[in-house]
Amino acid sequence: MSPPILLALVALFAPAVAALLLVPPAARRQGWPAAVVCILGSVVSFGAALALLANQLGDPTPQTLAVPWLHAGTAVVAEAGVHVDGVAASMLAVVTLVALCVQVFSLGYMHDEPAPAFGRYFAYHALFLFSMNVLVVAPNLLQLFVGWELVGVTSYLLIGFYFRKPSAAHAAVKAFWVTKFADMGFLFGLLTLYCASGGFRWDAQLAPETATAVTLLFFLAVVGKSAQFPLHVWLPDAMEGPTPVSALLHAATMVAAGVFLVVRANPLFAQSETTRTLMLGLGAGTALFAALLALVQTDIKKVLAYSTCSQLGYMVAALGAGSVLGGFFHLTTHAFFKALLFLAAGSAIHAVHSNEIGAMGGLAKRMPLTAAAFVIGALSLAGIPGFSGFFSKDLVLEAVEGKLGSVPWAALLATAFLTAFYMGKVVFVAFFGEPSGENAKHAHEPGWSMRGPLVILAILSLVLGYFAAPFAKLHGETYHFEVGLGPILGATLGVGGFAAAYLVFGRGKRETVPAPMAWIGRIANAGIVDRIYELGYRRVTLVFADALAWFDRYVVDGLINLLGYSTLEAGAAARPIQTGLATDYVTAVVVGAVCVAAWAVTR
Amino acid sequence: MTLSTCLLLATALFAVGIYGLLTRRQAMAVLLCIELMANAANLCFVAFSRFRGGVTGQVFAAFSIALTVAEVAVGLAIVILLYRSRGDTRLDLASEMKE
Amino acid sequence: METVGFAFAAACALLSAIFVVRSSNLIHAVLWLGVTLLTTAGLYAMLGASFLAGVQVLVYVGGVITLMIFGVMITRRHDGLVVQADSGNPARGMFVAGAFFGIVAAAIRLTDGLDVAITPDAVSPADLGRALFREQVLAFEVLSLLLLGAIVGAIVIARRRDPGAPRREPLEMSARTPERAPEIVASEVRP
Repeated sequence: MSPPILLALVALFAPAVAALLLVPPAARRQGWPAAVVCILGSVVSFGAALALLANQLGDPTPQTLAVPWLHAGTAVVAEAGVHVDGVAASMLAVVTLVALCVQVFSLGYMHDEPAPAFGRYFAYHALFLFSMNVLVVAPNLLQLFVGWELVGVTSYLLIGFYFRKPSAAHAAVKAFWVTKFADMGFLFGLLTLYCASGGFRWDAQLAPETATAVTLLFFLAVVGKSAQFPLHVWLPDAMEGPTPVSALLHAATMVAAGVFLVVRANPLFAQSETTRTLMLGLGAGTALFAALLALVQTDIKKVLAYSTCSQLGYMVAALGAGSVLGGFFHLTTHAFFKALLFLAAGSAIHAVHSNEIGAMGGLAKRMPLTAAAFVIGALSLAGIPGFSGFFSKDLVLEAVEGKLGSVPWAALLATAFLTAFYMGKVVFVAFFGEPSGENAKHAHEPGWSMRGPLVILAILSLVLGYFAAPFAKLHGETYHFEVGLGPILGATLGVGGFAAAYLVFGRGKRETVPAPMAWIGRIANAGIVDRIYELGYRRVTLVFADALAWFDRYVVDGLINLLGYSTLEAGAAARPIQTGLATDYVTAVVVGAVCVAAWAVTR
Repeated sequence: MTLSTCLLLATALFAVGIYGLLTRRQAMAVLLCIELMANAANLCFVAFSRFRGGVTGQVFAAFSIALTVAEVAVGLAIVILLYRSRGDTRLDLASEMKE
Repeated sequence: METVGFAFAAACALLSAIFVVRSSNLIHAVLWLGVTLLTTAGLYAMLGASFLAGVQVLVYVGGVITLMIFGVMITRRHDGLVVQADSGNPARGMFVAGAFFGIVAAAIRLTDGLDVAITPDAVSPADLGRALFREQVLAFEVLSLLLLGAIVGAIVIARRRDPGAPRREPLEMSARTPERAPEIVASEVRP
């Protein structure tokens, strides 16, 4: 077994061991031992991932270890194992690092939870990390699907962590249901792929129509998992989970799994121009749509949720335009700065005991580290030159330029402006100006467990942009940066957005939703897409289900009841034959004898 | 007088006996009809013995007479029992067998 | 000559049989049965079975008919009402009897070798006696046992129980307890 394979296996199974150790309730009851076990597993996993990354940077030849897994008779239908290449190595490093940071942050953030719940939280985290790793190192699309579903389950468990709160329970079910609906696409895509190519490999060569069908089905799963329009409805509700969970799952890793699927299955997607065009259009549209919705949110987590949705749109659009490097690099930078933003927001929420930016204000003076971290994340997200987000967004814009009449390109540029604007709003309202209440006045920095991860992620958000060249090398591509219309336009829009935000929200103005944007607020809060789904459920699914239930009750059961009823009736009808009179019985005997005689005579 | 004529006569007597067996309401009348049927069978035996030769037919007829007498005796005892438990011997009222 | 006699006897037998099954008065029915049996005895004689004819008259007409008369008299209703002799389903009986006759008649017609005319040699009583006591002696002896069994059985079935004493379980009946002393004495004194 070669070193890369060994490292991949260690990275994969370290959190699995931790999760297994945390299965018995006794292990979780004390709370802190569970946290120790989980974090130890994550540290080992991250160490292995880092070593693997170094190994792949030196020698990026892909390696695979696959053992036969599913059999049909004597033939092997599918295999399980690990596949190591640049893509897997970089994704593994990102996932394990963000997971480790989030778990360490949780030590402080979830400190007030009762011990058994604290233990349960970390058990779920270990399970999640293992699930995500299964997905990342999968050697074929079937194992990727297994990891996909596992991640969905852990997301459900973690969103519904405060399960006694009805809104949290509903949000967990909603997330699970919407993504499960999308996963039908994944399943049918897998089946079609198998029927067309006899396996689950992502480099299968298919006929054009088959490739389109398969990739469209996979894209349905991506739309669900990565919260693109119209299946974006679960992501804002998922903010019911604890903030570190939002940072890990719903910003950096799980929602990125959809993008990762497209990156992995790029050979398949490259065979279908139709799907790629659809991705480009839908991604750009979602980016703009989500940015508009983010403008009118007052809950800091909801702002970041819609922002995530929007940035995922960027990645999907880049992949649709054919730039795997663009999409994947943006995924990586986004993972870091979005996790940073969520954790910093969590620190602020922890200080003022509220999610609303209206309850904050002036936090920069009282929590300088948190404020600095949040501002760095915001600048990176807005694509301000020098920060990591600038470089990755530039790649995306460069890829999208010129395609589909440059309409998506224009949409993404508009989104860039809006992104800077709403992030600016949050920065100026929450961190600058005057404190709005008692809690904001008495806010203070959190403990070291919460500050450490903020620092690490902030540093990465600052410098990762300059590592684009080695990143590209991992994926077998070259990177060069050129100063052209695209980057200049993007930088201008980003700075412009911040400036506009300062004009509207800076200088002590407390209005969180200005009058011109109120109409967006009304539309956003109407929950139109949710209403459409509800209508569809009531008018179509329930009606159909009622019809089936009627059929089952009256036709299927009716048939059986009819059988029983007719048996009883037949018995009742036959009963009068037994008269009890000897004369009748003798008659029967004679008739029988006559019949026998008749038969004998006529033979 | 041929064998088939005799047999047809016996069959006719037997059929009349069947009609009475299935039709009559009183137990004694049914016993009478049984007698009629047995008599017809005896006639068959004797006819075969006469037309085909051999003494077996008459032997059978003799035995049959004796058996019929025994059967009448027992049947009469049953009818008396039936009468004693009910007061009359109407067969269409005795429907305990359906229970 | 013979044919006429046979036809007359056959007609008598059939007619009297029909009267047996159709008479509403039971005594009349029994008497008509007597006529049928007598006619059959005549037929036996015509067929050369003189011994059997005699046995028929003695046993059947003499014994069975007498028995039937007794039976009819014993089982009469005491309130003077006469039971309707016919049942409510003559059609069914007619149909079944007719079907029976039809089938057997068809079988007789279809069988060959039944149209033989009467032959001069008949079986004599001596032959019958020899057959009964030589070849068929076992059946004869068994028959006597059967007659014994029938007599005993008839007595057991029709045995009259004392109407005064209530029916009792066998075990109970044979138990001798002081409470039952008077009735045990009474039952043992009874002849």
